[in-house]
Amino acid sequence: MTSPGKTMKNTLFTRRGANAALLTFFGAAALSVASPALAAQARDPGAEAFVQAKAQRVVTVLANKSMSEAQKKQVFHQAVDELADVPRVTNFVLGKYARTITPDQKARFAAVFRTYAENVYQSRIDDYRGEQLKVTGSVVRKPGDVIVNTVISGGQITQPLPVSWRVLGGGQSWKVVDVQFKGIWLAITQQQDFVSTIDNAGGNIDVLINQLQKNGSGSSGRR
Amino acid sequence: MSLRDQDQSPGQMAAGRRFAAAGLAVAAGLLALAPAAHAEDQIPTVPAPPASGDASVQTANDPLEGLNRASFKLSMGIDHVVLSPVTHGYLAVTPKVIRNRVSSAVYNLGEPNTVMNHVLQGKPKRAMRSTARFVVNSTVGVLGLFDVAAKMHLPPRGADFGQTFGVWGAGPGAYIYVPAMGPLNVRDGVGRVLDVVTDPVSMFVGGFDTDSGKARTGVTIVDLRAQTDPAFHALKDAADPYVTTRSAYSQYREAFIREATGEAEELPDFDTPPATPTPRKAAAPKP
Repeated sequence: MTSPGKTMKNTLFTRRGANAALLTFFGAAALSVASPALAAQARDPGAEAFVQAKAQRVVTVLANKSMSEAQKKQVFHQAVDELADVPRVTNFVLGKYARTITPDQKARFAAVFRTYAENVYQSRIDDYRGEQLKVTGSVVRKPGDVIVNTVISGGQITQPLPVSWRVLGGGQSWKVVDVQFKGIWLAITQQQDFVSTIDNAGGNIDVLINQLQKNGSGSSGRR
Repeated sequence: MSLRDQDQSPGQMAAGRRFAAAGLAVAAGLLALAPAAHAEDQIPTVPAPPASGDASVQTANDPLEGLNRASFKLSMGIDHVVLSPVTHGYLAVTPKVIRNRVSSAVYNLGEPNTVMNHVLQGKPKRAMRSTARFVVNSTVGVLGLFDVAAKMHLPPRGADFGQTFGVWGAGPGAYIYVPAMGPLNVRDGVGRVLDVVTDPVSMFVGGFDTDSGKARTGVTIVDLRAQTDPAFHALKDAADPYVTTRSAYSQYREAFIREATGEAEELPDFDTPPATPTPRKAAAPKP
């Protein structure tokens, strides 16, 4: 297994070396195409630094084998406040019902959603059990609304897993509002889930609150 | 204008890869390089379609919701008594190393179909890389059990007919939940059928009528179910598992197609949707 692998690698490297000159030639042509695009692309170093620091912390905590589940839950709970804009997410996942919810319902929903979301997000990140998070770039959708792209690797991850974070804010204060795995945004998916649940209950938001209370506690019990 | 600027970004992220790949492209044939580089560089500069392109993320196109929900319920029931126990048995008795070998082998058998679709999408570089992957992994990688190519900077890059139709401009069409096949839409359903009937490996090695074909189908199903097991767990948390599946599947497929087109993702404004009811929201199906 090893020796043929080496041979293949070696031939590839030799070929690469031999073609270095050609590459430079074509590279010049390619660069001339790429550079205007480079200029147009907007990255946000502040948002990237924020995600690198805070998201790495969450990944590190969840990968820590010496911590008990209860400890992890507690640290994750604190980390969520630093990492995520919970009130904004709470509002977003209600979709059109954010306009009609009563203050009393809103208070109850916020409490239930917080517990539910912590369990869900922790499970999702935990499913992959990676160790290192590396920012690979970012896209400024508009000022203060940035997608930061990362890959998580190490641990039980065989192939680096791309994860994107949507962060809002600016300057020194950024907060994550959504996370994307395999093309799927968690908050967007939750919004569709919740709005549909309320729709099917004839617009009764209490039905969703009760449902989340059930699911949230059930989810924490698994694994 | 700013939206169009953002369209450059996915292509830019791939810039490093593009250069690495260029080395291989030169090795494989000089002729291919110029058109390939040209083709890939052009993609990100194609103007994005108007904002209606994100319809699949914003509202669901699900005219058969009643039927689909019944079908979803039936499938989850069948999964619960048949596929889930088989998969959990498989997950319990095989170590992850073995399961990764199985996944690699299954993926490798799909590689010729991937190559075909890269060609149909007009992506010669990707087609060559996938061809190289298939050749290397089928030989050095012992019939695809080991993904040797990934370690040679040839990471897997999937493609299927659904994606090809998407690249050609087809929208997803109506959502359908097919028992035993899972979530689909019209575009990807047609794509799936084509993937099966035009599969080069089935044609040359043997289709479902042969023992090897049956074994392959069985292994593919269990491997897929095992790989998506976290998603099945996630569904237990959902308030409406049917809608969660529909939403996740639609986003997953659109992301897969954007990977080929290089288009930027359209996202809802995070703070505005509740404040201003758009016509689309108003048109959302009421039960």
